[in-house]
Amino acid sequence: MSDFKIGQREAQSVSILDLKGYLDAHTAPKLEEAFQNLLRSQRYRIVVNCRDLSYISSAGLGVFMAFIEDVRNNKGDIKLTNMSPKVYNVFDLLGFPLLYEIFKDEQEAVTRFFDRTK
Amino acid sequence: MRLRRVVLLGGAFVLVIVKFALDVVEKNVELDLTGLGLIRELLLIAAMGGLYLVIDSLASRRESTPVRKLAFALIALGAMILGSIGLSASGVAGFDAKNLALVPLDYPSIFLASLVGLAFGVFSLVVIRLLRDLILVNRKPAARRNWLIFALLLLGSSASCLTTKPLDGSLLTGILFVMAIIVAVVNSFRLPWIVYLTKREKLFSLACAFFLFVGFTALAVQVGGGSLLRRSLLYYSHPLHNFVQLVLIFGAMYAGMAFVSTLFHLPTAEAFDRKRSEVSSLHTLSKLVTQVFDFNELVDNVTSLTLQVVGASSCWLEIISLPRGVPADGASYAVQVAARKNITQEEIDLLIAPERRGIRDTVVADRRPIVVDDVERDARFLHLRKKKGIAGSLVVVPLVSHTGLAGVLYAAKKESYGFVRDDVDAIAAFADQATVAIENARLIRESLEKERLYREMLVAQEMQKRLLPQRVPAAPAFDLDAVSTPAFEVGGDYYDFMDLGGGRIGIAVGDVSGKGVSAAFYMSEMKGIFQALGRLCASPKEFMVKANEALADSIDKRSFVSLIYAVLDTASGRLTVARAGHCPLLHIAAERVAYVRPNGLGMGLRRGPTFADAIAEEEILLEEGDVCVLYTDGITEARRGDEEFGYERLMAAARAARAGSAAGIKDDILKSVGAFTEQRPNDDDLTLVVLKWNGPERRAPRAT
Repeated sequence: MSDFKIGQREAQSVSILDLKGYLDAHTAPKLEEAFQNLLRSQRYRIVVNCRDLSYISSAGLGVFMAFIEDVRNNKGDIKLTNMSPKVYNVFDLLGFPLLYEIFKDEQEAVTRFFDRTK
Repeated sequence: MRLRRVVLLGGAFVLVIVKFALDVVEKNVELDLTGLGLIRELLLIAAMGGLYLVIDSLASRRESTPVRKLAFALIALGAMILGSIGLSASGVAGFDAKNLALVPLDYPSIFLASLVGLAFGVFSLVVIRLLRDLILVNRKPAARRNWLIFALLLLGSSASCLTTKPLDGSLLTGILFVMAIIVAVVNSFRLPWIVYLTKREKLFSLACAFFLFVGFTALAVQVGGGSLLRRSLLYYSHPLHNFVQLVLIFGAMYAGMAFVSTLFHLPTAEAFDRKRSEVSSLHTLSKLVTQVFDFNELVDNVTSLTLQVVGASSCWLEIISLPRGVPADGASYAVQVAARKNITQEEIDLLIAPERRGIRDTVVADRRPIVVDDVERDARFLHLRKKKGIAGSLVVVPLVSHTGLAGVLYAAKKESYGFVRDDVDAIAAFADQATVAIENARLIRESLEKERLYREMLVAQEMQKRLLPQRVPAAPAFDLDAVSTPAFEVGGDYYDFMDLGGGRIGIAVGDVSGKGVSAAFYMSEMKGIFQALGRLCASPKEFMVKANEALADSIDKRSFVSLIYAVLDTASGRLTVARAGHCPLLHIAAERVAYVRPNGLGMGLRRGPTFADAIAEEEILLEEGDVCVLYTDGITEARRGDEEFGYERLMAAARAARAGSAAGIKDDILKSVGAFTEQRPNDDDLTLVVLKWNGPERRAPRAT
C-alpha cells in the first residue's frame, strides 16, 4: 500500500533528498537509511525536497529528529523545502518550523547554506 | 473346523482300511472282477479327496511365506524318500506280473504297498497344494487359468487309468499325461515370489530348490522305472500311481525352474534388498515426520536410518542457522550437531575442521551434495594427515528447504570408495525428510511463540484499557463523552480527565508518535505524568512545560508526544487551552465554528526555554450550548484511498450534531468517519472527546 521513494542529488556540495509518496512507520526506515548513508560519507548539508511527498506520519517526522542533532553538531543542517499545504500543516502542528528551516523553494535552501551573514 | 477335520480324517482312515481288506481278500480269493477293482479305486479316491480337504484347511489356516512353503515341500519330499528307502530295505517279496495285473507274493507286500501308496498319495497332495500356493501368489487371471488346466489334466489323466489294468495303458491316458506335462512346463514359469525374497531368503530358496529338484527327479525316475516302488504304487492304485508320477515330474520341473531363476536373481538381490529397506525406511521416516513432534527423536531416527540403509560406519546431522539479513554466501553461520551416531563431537570437529573453510562451507554455499571417495588423499582433508581412521569416504548432503538451508547430513564409511551412486541418492532422500522435520519443528516453535505473544498482547490491551478513564466526570454545567480505539492491540493515543479543585476540570488528549507497543509504553508514562503533575500546575502551559521536562529524560530522540490540554472553569465557562503540537481544538458556537490553535511544540522534541517559549495559551469563553471537540489525527487522517477525512468534514459533522448530547455528537462524528472510510478498520489509533457546555453551575441545574 505505502509506496515511498527517495532520490538523491548533489548541488554545490549540498545533498538533496527528493521524497516521494507516503512516509509512515513502514517506509520511515528507508529515509533513515538515506540519512545514515549521508552521515557516513560525512555529508552534513542536507536539503529535503518534499514536493512529491503526499503524506507524512509521526514516525516519519521522528526520522528528522533522529539525525538533526548529529548533523548540527557537525556544522551542517537539514532544511526542508517545497511542502504541499497538507504536509506543511503536519509539520506546523507539531511546531517543526521552530526547529527546522522550511523553504518554499529548494534553491533558496541551498543558497542559505552559503549565506554567511546568517 | 476341527471336528470337520477329524471326521474327514476318520472317514479316510476307514475307507483306506476297507480298501486294504479288499486287497487282502482279493489275494486269497483270486477273483478277477473289474467291478471289485473299481470299488477299491473309488474308495481310495474318496479317501484322498477327504485328505486333500484336511490338508487344504490346514494350509489356509495361516499366512505362510514362500520360503516356509519350500521348506514344507522339502519335508514332504524327505518323507517320500524315506518311504521309498524303507520299502527297498524291507525285503518283501514284491509282486508278480500276470495278465497285465500285479499279484502280491506275500501279505507284507500288500501291507507295505498300502502304506507307501497312502504316504505318497498324501505327500503328493501336500506338494501339489504347496505348488498351487506358490504359483498363485499374485493371482493373475492367466496364472489361475493355467493352474486350473493343469489340475484338470492331472485329475483327468489319473481318472483315465481307473478301468485299465496296472500294467496296461490306454492312448487317452498317454495323451492326457503328455498334455499335463506340457501345461506343467507352462506353470513352472510362474515364479513371482522369488523377486521379493531378501538375499538370505534367496540363498535359502536356492538350496531348497536344488534339493527339491534332485529329490523329485530321483523319485520320478523310481516311480516311472521298473522298481519295487513303481510296482507297489501300481498295485495299490493305478490312478494314484499316475497322479504321484505327474506330481513328482511337475515338482522336479518347478524346483528346477525355481533354482535357475533364483540363481539369476542372486546378483541383484543385494540391490533389491537395499531399495526395499530404503523404501520402508523412508516410509517409517515420513510417518515419523507427520506424527512425532519431538525434534530430537526425529533427527535421531534420521541418522540411525541413514546409517542402517547405506551401511555407513558413522552418521551425523548438523543444524545450520544463517543469521537473518546476511546474504546466503555461507560467510557466517552457526552450526549445531543435532544428532550423531558412532562418532564423537571431537572427531567431527577434527574431520570438518571448523577453523578452515572446509567441506561444510562448500556445501552450505553450493547447496549440492558432495562425495569424498578417498578422505586420506583428498586435498580438502590434508589436516587429517596424521589422524587416520575417522573416515575413509564421506558423503555430505545439504538440507535445503524452500526458506533456505536448514542443515547438513553427513555419512561416513571406514573404507575409501565406500559410497555408490545409490547411497548418495538414498542419503539425499533422508536429508529431504529431515528437512521437512526440521521445518515442521521450526513452524511449530514459531506458532507457539506467536500464540504466546498474542496472549501477551491481549493482556497489554486489557491493561491499557484500564489506563483510560473508567468514568467521565459529570456535572450539571457540562456533558462529557469520550472514545479511544487503537489500530492494533495497543496504541499510543491517550485521553484523561482530572478534577483540579475549585470547580475546574482538566481535559487532556494526546498522541504518542508511532503505533503499537512502543507508543503504548509512552502513553502509560504520559498517564503517570498527568496524574502526578496535573493538580500541581496552575495553568495548562505550566503543566506542558513540566511534563515536557519529565518526559524528555526517558523518551527516544525520534519519538515525541503531542498533547492538547484544556482546563474548564465550571463557574465561568472559561476554557484555557494549551497545545503541545497536537491537533487543534474544534469549538462550535451558535454562530461561529473555529479551530482553536495556540502555538506550541511537540513534547520530547526540545527541552528548556525553547519549549517553554513555544507554548502559548488561548482562552475561550463558552456560551450555553457550545461544543468543544478534542481528537487525535486518527480522525482527521482517516483515509479513503488517497483522500483524508480532514478538518472540513470534521467541522461539518460536529456542526450538524451540535444540538445533541456529548454522547450523541461523539456517535455522529464516528458515524460520519465510518461512512467516509466505508467502515474499514482504522489504520491509526483514534480518539475523540466531546465537551458540551450547558451553562455555569451557579444557575439552576438543567437537564441535559
